[in-house]
Amino acid sequence: MQKTGARREEILHLLEELGGVTADNVREVARRTKVSEAEIWGSGTFYTLLKGGPRVRVCNGLSCRIRGSDELVAQLRAQGKEVEEVSCLGQCDRAPAALDENLKVFDKSRGPRGVTPANPGLAVNLAGEPDYTLAALDKARAMAPADIFRLLEESGLQGRGGAGFPAHIKWKGVSTQKETERYVVCNADEAEPATFKDRETMLRRPDKIIEGMAIAAHAVGAGECHFYIRGEFRAEYEAVKAALKRMEARLNFVSWYFHQGHGAYICGEETALLESMEGKRGMPRLKPPFPHEFGFRGKPTLINNVETLACVPWIFHNGGPAFKALGRTEAGSKLYCISGHVNQPGVYELPLGATLDELVAVAGGYEGTPKAFSPGGASSGFLPISKSSTPLDFKNLAKEGSMLGSAGVVVLNDTVDMAKAAQWQLEFFEVESCGQCAPCRIGSRYLHRQTTKYLKTGDPGALKHAGDIGWEMEEGSICGLGMVAAKPLESAMKYWPQEFARR
Amino acid sequence: MSDRFNITVDGKPVAAKPGETVLRACQREGIHIPTLCDDTRLDPMGACRACLVEVDGQRRLQPACAWKAAPNQNVKTHASSPRVQKHQDLLVSLYMADHKLDESGLPIETANSNQLRSWAQETRPVSLEAVEAPRAARAGDKNPYIQYNPELCILCARCTRYCDEIEAVNAITLTNRGSETTIGTAGMKGLLETTCELCGGCIDTCPTGALVEKKAIEILPHQLERKVRTTCNYCGVGCQMDLNVAKVNGQEKVVRVTSPPPGETVNDGNLCVKGRFAYDFIHHKDRITEPMIRKADGNLHAVSWPEALKFAAEGMNRVKQRHGPGALGFISSARCTGEENFLMGKVSRAAFKTGNVHSCAAT
Repeated sequence: MQKTGARREEILHLLEELGGVTADNVREVARRTKVSEAEIWGSGTFYTLLKGGPRVRVCNGLSCRIRGSDELVAQLRAQGKEVEEVSCLGQCDRAPAALDENLKVFDKSRGPRGVTPANPGLAVNLAGEPDYTLAALDKARAMAPADIFRLLEESGLQGRGGAGFPAHIKWKGVSTQKETERYVVCNADEAEPATFKDRETMLRRPDKIIEGMAIAAHAVGAGECHFYIRGEFRAEYEAVKAALKRMEARLNFVSWYFHQGHGAYICGEETALLESMEGKRGMPRLKPPFPHEFGFRGKPTLINNVETLACVPWIFHNGGPAFKALGRTEAGSKLYCISGHVNQPGVYELPLGATLDELVAVAGGYEGTPKAFSPGGASSGFLPISKSSTPLDFKNLAKEGSMLGSAGVVVLNDTVDMAKAAQWQLEFFEVESCGQCAPCRIGSRYLHRQTTKYLKTGDPGALKHAGDIGWEMEEGSICGLGMVAAKPLESAMKYWPQEFARR
Repeated sequence: MSDRFNITVDGKPVAAKPGETVLRACQREGIHIPTLCDDTRLDPMGACRACLVEVDGQRRLQPACAWKAAPNQNVKTHASSPRVQKHQDLLVSLYMADHKLDESGLPIETANSNQLRSWAQETRPVSLEAVEAPRAARAGDKNPYIQYNPELCILCARCTRYCDEIEAVNAITLTNRGSETTIGTAGMKGLLETTCELCGGCIDTCPTGALVEKKAIEILPHQLERKVRTTCNYCGVGCQMDLNVAKVNGQEKVVRVTSPPPGETVNDGNLCVKGRFAYDFIHHKDRITEPMIRKADGNLHAVSWPEALKFAAEGMNRVKQRHGPGALGFISSARCTGEENFLMGKVSRAAFKTGNVHSCAAT
């Protein structure tokens, strides 16, 4: 219940400032904000970065596991350090990744990180020089919203956060609401395992993201732009803030706000992100209503992923058809993250619909004999390497029962045990499930435990109900996390049945 | 009414009102849709997933508790949808893997009932290995009334939402994340150290008996002889409550007090700490159950009501004759009803001719 005068949106930030969730800190935040102690405690304990006490955080994502994260943990513990194993840190191109006590990335700098060379013909063009002229915004502000939506529609731009939803429909959806208090939110809570394209975009091309947000605010009639960035991304936060500072004199037709996340994968789900912005536990809302009608503070809200917004300026400079032509099977160029058993992991911008073989070719080739790949983060499950010529796009991967998702591609070679790989992904989903609905909360724990049991005993009986439980998680869960959490196990069992036989 | 419209549920027309959810329309027509996290007093949460139904045009199953009925909408429940049936069977299986079971393999019955137990008997769950979720209890909670058992908790959040939305007390909250999610308090302290007013509404709304009253915890619902509806006598509000009567050592006793279902009575299923928990006086050995007069020997003696009333009236009349009506004053108890307070006014003004009358509920 919202109490008059209570300032709930501030509580998570204050808890972090005071050093995490303790009974004393909660009392102090309650005193300052007039929010009840229980609500502060309940929200605070949801987030891993609000656990008090300094510690080194070692990534246990798939790409880091196959690069020896377990050994790194042991090594650091031997040095007497407090170590916590955490979900994917989005540093798969420097696996095994870790953050020090101040959330700074341990950089072991094994050479430069892979990125496509500068090319103004690419929509995001990571290696290009930042452009602070806001020339695309000038063009947009001379256009009527209806023309902007038409341009977006012509471009074929699909949301690049994972769902591939046509951008123009979302934008139009917000602009046609009766309510005029509207918001634009940039979702920079990138945390899908094996995904680090938004990270790289924030570091290299924050100009494009901010310009895209400003164009969106103009088009949908929003008065405020909010940037929600993953809490672990400290350098990226500074980079985006610095870019905004360079341009803010010309961007004051809207107000700008930053929100740093506090450690929860699920907050990348757009409605959980909104809850988190409002100082609540990051539990996804029921949909409908969708954010375009009931979003931040219950008002119409446009939420777009970093990359989606970063594509927008190029479209204004070059036109919708030109953007569409950048793609192969679907519209535009696309940032693909690639890591795992390849020689030069990194972020590469290719035509949407490029194949794994093409992607790996620019990433220095396969390392060892490839066996499997995961095309779009943990949520996409695994595909056998025989599918390496499938276009990596939204439509074709869906046909394979997988998905492009956030285009976090991981290659596994024949040294990897697929049951083990499935177990790692299931551990991720159990830890990151918000716990709100039973299919996901109980199902992800059940599948993780049963896979662990199978690995320990070699008895395939441990997994006899896996298919049913996966079905129920997909049918019964509230949000996309629960719907896909069984995919890594299901796909591994489907394509590598021999690795799930008695052993 | 003209604004009513029909939806189709399992092939049959069901009347619905604008703004109404599919669940409420079905409930009114007597169509059974299982629920766990639903409470008519609370905003729908859609978290327990028990009420999922098929809605035409929707790819995903939708929670009937939150889905708004619309004209000509076609809805299928478990009665006609194998998909919903399968969902229910597997959902119950998962709940049971995360729940304390008895020797028969069913969710355990508690003093506060357990809806999961009856639902498990209506469905065909598969037997899964227990998931042993690490849900924390609040060790050392010394409050005298409310017990939380995390092994029986399904995290439907009815208790925390009740504490927030109805009582606006916010003593308890969902805490932690994922399979560690539990019901906690700030600092995981005992309820006595929080804003909790011990109204016990959390026990009342809990569907699985994870929350129970500490007293008479061994007396299960089927062991009750009967329930007696009565009016709480602690104040003048007139809350209705049900005295739960069971045989204890061969004698009928009130073993607990529960609130009638929401929507039936003036208190809408709510009670306060006194009404719900302070019933020990009923069978207390010191309770005075008949009028008494102090006689010449200096001791109180039981007498009949006519004798007691006559004795009191004579005494007050004597005071009035000797000192005038202004020497008399009448104060009625906050536990009196409005009707009783009215009669107190009559006694004072009409019978004894004094305006010196007051109710302690007025201050």
